[in-house]
Amino acid sequence: MIEIKNVSKIYDGNIVALQDINLRFKEGELIILKGVSGSGKSTILSLIAGLSKPTLGEITVDKKKISKLPDHFAASYRRDNIGIVFQKYNLIPTLSVTENVLLPLFPLNLPRELMKEKSSNVLQKFSIEHKANVIVKNLSGGEQQRVAIARANINDPKIILADEPTANLDEKLSLEFIEILRELKSKKRTIIIATHDPLFFDLDIVDRTVSIEHGKLL
Amino acid sequence: MNKINFYLLEYAYAYIKRNKNKNIFIVTVFTLLVALLSSVFFITTTVEHEMKERISYKPDIVVQAYKAGMQSSVDSALLDKLLEINGISSGHLRVEGTYDFRAKNRLFYLYGVAPFEDQEDPFIEQVLQNEALNSSQMLVSDSVKESMHQAYYDKYFNFIKPDGSLQKVFIKKSFPVHKRIELQNLILLDQDTLRKIFGYSENEGSDIALSVANKNELDFITSKIRLMLPNAKVVSKNDLNVMYEKLFDYDSGVFLSLFVIAIFTFFIIIYDKANGLSSEEKREIGILKAIGWRVEDVLHAKFYEAAIISFFSFFTGLLIAFVYVFIFKAPLLGEIFMHNTLLDIHTFNLDFYLELSYTLLIFLLSVPVYIAATLIPSWRVATLDADEVMR
Repeated sequence: MIEIKNVSKIYDGNIVALQDINLRFKEGELIILKGVSGSGKSTILSLIAGLSKPTLGEITVDKKKISKLPDHFAASYRRDNIGIVFQKYNLIPTLSVTENVLLPLFPLNLPRELMKEKSSNVLQKFSIEHKANVIVKNLSGGEQQRVAIARANINDPKIILADEPTANLDEKLSLEFIEILRELKSKKRTIIIATHDPLFFDLDIVDRTVSIEHGKLL
Repeated sequence: MNKINFYLLEYAYAYIKRNKNKNIFIVTVFTLLVALLSSVFFITTTVEHEMKERISYKPDIVVQAYKAGMQSSVDSALLDKLLEINGISSGHLRVEGTYDFRAKNRLFYLYGVAPFEDQEDPFIEQVLQNEALNSSQMLVSDSVKESMHQAYYDKYFNFIKPDGSLQKVFIKKSFPVHKRIELQNLILLDQDTLRKIFGYSENEGSDIALSVANKNELDFITSKIRLMLPNAKVVSKNDLNVMYEKLFDYDSGVFLSLFVIAIFTFFIIIYDKANGLSSEEKREIGILKAIGWRVEDVLHAKFYEAAIISFFSFFTGLLIAFVYVFIFKAPLLGEIFMHNTLLDIHTFNLDFYLELSYTLLIFLLSVPVYIAATLIPSWRVATLDADEVMR
């Protein structure tokens, strides 16, 4: 379970991104964070991922205080628990699909066979195995997103954070992404999606929609 | 960081390839820097090594007589006087000197050999082995023989004595000088015959060679002889060492090298720092952190990246210097560095000789500096919050 208690985030001393936010996400829930650009959706995702620390308040994930974790442990926490799908995919354009997908595991120095097995499984799961050796910059937008999703799932994370995942996709590819979400939800993953795409709002798989405006919950 | 992580190594290599232009520039400058400095050090250390070896064949002390500021012959009576000095174990009168071979505009080095006399120089000792010379014979280097041949002296040569008469000496045999290039002008002939060529009387020689029993007393004995013979020129092995080092201007070479290394290294660092980390590079570090890399992991990959570039450049530079100095015999740079006319680079073999301390010095002043210059900006970025990738 993810708990956000009285969290505020202020950038550069005066830019208020979040103001006294209180939220709870149960395990296996699919939540939509809804709001216009700059409303604070991505900041919530980044705080849950431990990429930044709240100025005030506290965040706990499975009773662990994420907001107090030193950088070293925050990285390990992300690697073991979090999968992030970025708006612009954030892939390394000159690496192959397999290399991009395995990137989170590189520091672990696992045996080659195990790495191969992991990449093969995840590429198959997200139907991108036929492009395994293709350099990422040569893929279409939809394919790149599949790679990004595959990378986010390489560690089989409990929590998946997606930031504007359909912002760069056409409708067909957006629907494909929703199918992927459906599958992930069926595996009891906690999924939090920051979006202003109306496509998500009435989906049957969505448990809750949280609206944010100017850093405050509505 | 105690085990090689090949995934990070591959990632670092891919990163270098991605920033091809910048890295080619750095590798080129780095390689040239190491090649230049290594060449200078290879030349200086090798020549110094060869010079020390040559000096080791010289007598402990050489005494030359001077009259009115001009070198003159020495008398055997002086040798007897010098042998009375405590600490001098042995000595002999030497007959040697240069002879101007005008036909080929070349100076021959004539060295008089007395029967049953031991030679200080092992090379001359070896050449004379089983070669008894009579008064009308000489042994010449292959190079001297070739010069004589070009002037149509195939079997003998007529040396012109001071009184204008000729001294005919037959070429008994020629010998290769191999690595002793400085002896390529050498002619070995009977000492008495050489006395006639130089116009010396029976008891005269060109100088006196002395051996000292206790080498620690060399300077003391040398100064004693100087006091005893104020008109003579007294040169010890120690003096030769000092003189050659001064001639070679060794210290200024080292300082010049350090100066050059500092300029180039700073150039690389400044280039890197001026560019800092591009927004792309910062973003990439942010992505890596977002997907679970720790600061150490980022630095580990960056270390590999810097190590690949710096080690590759260092060893390529070293290899270039090796080929340039020891295979091509340092054209241009050798002549520039050995600008002093008393030291002719062409008389040195430049055989491979490695002074590890200088190679280590170049390594320490380049590789760790470059690695640090790569790691520091990356560490700065990696320790910042990575949430920018989400914004």
